[in-house]
Amino acid sequence: MEQSAAYEGQQVYHPKGWWGHYVFSQDHKIIALQYTCVALAIGLTGMFLSMMMRMQLGFPGLFDSIDAGNYYQDVTMHGMIMVIYLLTALFLGGFGNYLIPLMLGSRDMAFPFVNMLSFWVYFLSVIILSASFFVPSGPTGAGWTLYPPQSILEGTPGGDGAGILLMLISLAVFIIAFTMGGLNYITTVLQSRARGMTLMRMPLIIWCIFLATFLGLLAFPALFVGAIMLTFDRVLETSFFMPEIFKGGEVLDYGGGSPVLFQHLFWFFGHPEVYIIALPAFGIISELISCHARKNIFGYNMMVWALVAIAGISFIVWAHHMYVAGMNPYLGFFFATTTLIIAVPTAIKVYNWVLTLWHANIKMTVPMLYCLAFLITFLIGGLTGLFLGNVSVDVPLSDTYFVVGHFHMVMAVSPVLALYGGLYHWFPSVTGRMLDDRLGKIHFWITFVGTYLIYFPMHYIGFLGVPRRYYSNEQYDFIPQSVADLNQFITICALIVGASQFILLYNFVNSTIRGKKASKNPWGACTLEWQALESPPGHGNWGDQLPVVYRWPYDYGLPGATADFVPQNVPDEQIT
Amino acid sequence: MDRHNPINSEPGILNLSHAQVFVYMLLAVITILFLFLTNAYVFRMNFEDWQPLPMPSLLWLNTCSLVVASMGMAWATRGAKKNNQTSLKTGLLVGGLFALFFLTGQFWAWQQLIEYGYLLANNPANTFFYLITALHGLHISCGVVAWMVITKKSWNPNGDRPSPSQVSLLATYWHYLLLIWVMMFGLFLST
Repeated sequence: MEQSAAYEGQQVYHPKGWWGHYVFSQDHKIIALQYTCVALAIGLTGMFLSMMMRMQLGFPGLFDSIDAGNYYQDVTMHGMIMVIYLLTALFLGGFGNYLIPLMLGSRDMAFPFVNMLSFWVYFLSVIILSASFFVPSGPTGAGWTLYPPQSILEGTPGGDGAGILLMLISLAVFIIAFTMGGLNYITTVLQSRARGMTLMRMPLIIWCIFLATFLGLLAFPALFVGAIMLTFDRVLETSFFMPEIFKGGEVLDYGGGSPVLFQHLFWFFGHPEVYIIALPAFGIISELISCHARKNIFGYNMMVWALVAIAGISFIVWAHHMYVAGMNPYLGFFFATTTLIIAVPTAIKVYNWVLTLWHANIKMTVPMLYCLAFLITFLIGGLTGLFLGNVSVDVPLSDTYFVVGHFHMVMAVSPVLALYGGLYHWFPSVTGRMLDDRLGKIHFWITFVGTYLIYFPMHYIGFLGVPRRYYSNEQYDFIPQSVADLNQFITICALIVGASQFILLYNFVNSTIRGKKASKNPWGACTLEWQALESPPGHGNWGDQLPVVYRWPYDYGLPGATADFVPQNVPDEQIT
Repeated sequence: MDRHNPINSEPGILNLSHAQVFVYMLLAVITILFLFLTNAYVFRMNFEDWQPLPMPSLLWLNTCSLVVASMGMAWATRGAKKNNQTSLKTGLLVGGLFALFFLTGQFWAWQQLIEYGYLLANNPANTFFYLITALHGLHISCGVVAWMVITKKSWNPNGDRPSPSQVSLLATYWHYLLLIWVMMFGLFLST
């Protein structure tokens, strides 16, 4: 019982009643589920908005209800919802909350109450964001980057009403929620590991979530400051970001401010945000690829240091989003160089995943399919990133569909593939049942092939110089008819892929109720979340005795062992 | 890396408690927040329309109250460590009350500036002053909430007394916000 002595400081909270168990719960597993459900719900809204956009682009004028204003509102809300309220919240709030304590052999987060508060404040931010759909002039249509001066001026959709304000307030509230959650993740990783779980024995996904949280804690304050200052400019008519503006022959009260200052603040947050999403996706892939290929991860130490390098360098690349904003050529050169350098640790990770697969006993399970799809997609998205990282290539391609194709490949499709892989992999741990394999494969193939049919043509449209964010491409001579045909094709593919997501939803609901019962460790994984006494793990996770860790998390195919995996909590003398 | 032997490592980093790691990380986040404000301030300062505003002399008095508040907290920490209830209570009272004086003083300084016509939207220098002092004040106010919890605990006749580490962490927060105020005040004075 010497274990409990080490954990005296960590009191386990005991829920009271139904509300305490399932609503205002302080149990990390319930909070993770709450985060996941809210994020997926708002994510579905984001997907619906993208369908509206695609309808307009593919079949202009088919729906009278989509006018230019609505279109911009759809674009803006789609971007913001997907990046922040779906992916950031789901990866860190959902996966982070579920996996950190379970994988580290802890009973719960270090501060369960703050953790619960984090979810409810996040929920509040989603409510505030959703409220903007119901105010008179609707949500903001300023584009997800919210660049002033345009974002807060009358005439921009939502700019004259409460839309932009609700967006800014919602972001500030989200950041407060993230900070509460993030401080908790950091404290738990540093403080609440089981005996023997050294930092270099942590599963890679924990490293990834840990570093992504660090990035978030250091980057979100920039957005917070930007959002507050923009709110001041909007409400109190100050001029942080607002230059002198003439509108309809009148001079507005603003003057002297710098729109570029906002861009710096936004992208100082915005670029690390890419990695806040990408790192947890990397982590999921590392876990899944090793487990479903029944082979230890190649180059664990190198993987960890590559992650640290990516996290560090991601803070000095932000201005590559601003090449066309007008900057000193030497500055552009600096940011192009750092952008290309960040490709090195990223390539190390990709090579290590590929080398993990080399001569492995690859099981073509649904999670493995998602891993393979991720590898290819991330590689393609990363390569187009190298194009755009160079100033001279970026300038002509800036604000074209090439950029839309690039970032959707690298930070939308790739993380979502990892996300789906992760959902299929950990579903049995959460519900004790398996997801339907056949439906999973159908959903995978439609999603994987479909996204390529959607985003590949966009690169080509971008090369033709078609600008992004345009409501209609009809009046421009330089845009050939083939673009309209391609847009129709993309829209049809997008509708099919969008509809196929309901297969996943159905699979979730159906399998939760009627799915095949899962064994305790259905994938034969080494990590601790599958070694709990009960499946799904009960309150407090580990019964009376906390686990002790004897090995790293990737002991697959250990020589001399009968089973092809040895869990982290099995000592050498118990290996049979 | 040793992958296959049990290691008798105690959980935790550098012998810090959970609360210490949490608060130190929080202070790091607060630092970044004020760092961004400073960056934006320096960036915006170089534009033509910037007109520095005079600092009310009351701010010096406010700075002194925050120094006294910090000293009170240091006193309370010593009291808690030596289990001396009188110095703990007196220290906490001095620390909290002088922080409240500081907040009142800051509010008063705003009133003075408004009276002299330095309104928030007149000039970016004014806006930055109000924004930075407001955010700093907000952080002090959050500290005051934590202070109330701990002070109430230390007056509780038969309940748990606040542990020395709790009082010490509260004091750390106080010292740190003093440091941030000094930096920000220095920024205002020097520009």
